[in-house]
Amino acid sequence: MLTKPPLLNLAHWLPRSRVNGPGERFVIWVQGCGLACKGCWNPDTWSFAPRHLVSAETLMGWISATPGIEGVTFSGGEPFAQAGALVHLARKIREAGLSLMIFTGHELHELRSDAAVELLSLADIAVTGRYVESERDLTLRWRGSRNQRVVCLTGRYTPSVLEAGTGETEIVLGSDGSLVFTGFPERALLAR
Amino acid sequence: MSAYIVIATPMTDRECLLAALRDVGLDAKNIEIHDTAVPLVGFEGTQREQVANLVIRRQFVGASSNDVGFLATPTGYRMIVSDYDRPRFGADWQAKLAERYKAHADRKLAALVEVTERQKIEEERARLVEAQRQAIQEKAKKLGYRVVETREGENLRLVLVRRTY
Repeated sequence: MLTKPPLLNLAHWLPRSRVNGPGERFVIWVQGCGLACKGCWNPDTWSFAPRHLVSAETLMGWISATPGIEGVTFSGGEPFAQAGALVHLARKIREAGLSLMIFTGHELHELRSDAAVELLSLADIAVTGRYVESERDLTLRWRGSRNQRVVCLTGRYTPSVLEAGTGETEIVLGSDGSLVFTGFPERALLAR
Repeated sequence: MSAYIVIATPMTDRECLLAALRDVGLDAKNIEIHDTAVPLVGFEGTQREQVANLVIRRQFVGASSNDVGFLATPTGYRMIVSDYDRPRFGADWQAKLAERYKAHADRKLAALVEVTERQKIEEERARLVEAQRQAIQEKAKKLGYRVVETREGENLRLVLVRRTY
């Protein structure tokens, strides 16, 4: 008998972003991370308590309904803490011809479980390593600290993508005046 | 990880802000209302540099506390709270206040039957969005970013690219 894949526990999602990987991307911030890096952007994503529970099918429906995107990015939270559930979504993303980028606080050698290895095999780019506050450098593309690495895992992208830009910030200004900051914003930008 | 940081809907309506402050446990009779901003007072009784239009005096905040205030700005009320009082009026408290403010603001808008009144609120929102946009543009330029703007439905997307020259 086929078992249903587990639901994904999400913190946030943004249908379009230009600063979370190459090109225009659908970005998913998963809920739950046990690493608790000091100075983390998103401490609200640490708790593993259910926040937005969504099936891979539903999420893929949202992604498919977003025209003109180059790929999908998993951020968080820690994507590999729910690698089993994300594998189902990652397969669908690849079947749709979209690229996949994953932010993780782990180093590649720490990702040993079957689900983690499978999820990694479906990714085109992984940004790896803990966020280390003393190594903070917001001029780097797609990284918050100098110890983190951008690893191209398939031939779809080459390390030259890193040379095409620096650390960027994106702000979505809503019709009610609300603001969503994503990417790598410096503190002075967030201060009112 | 990349950041996802939400800055709640700006609080621009004094009546809704006062209602929200009551909801989070502040007694209305202890909130001073000033059309022109007045100086806040520190725990030792000395005037501080900061000014505010809504003021909760230190004796109603706590022992050894400083005044807490809300200053009216073109992009909404800005809360002024000292480091000493931040544990009580920190991110969680402010998030709750923002949530209650939004509930009151939405209710107020829904209750308006007069088309002209609704239009006035919508115009105020449009003015606020423009003020936010200009504030971001100015801050970004000062910090050395180039800003690329794209309109997407009702939202405006601003990508801040660091200048490398």
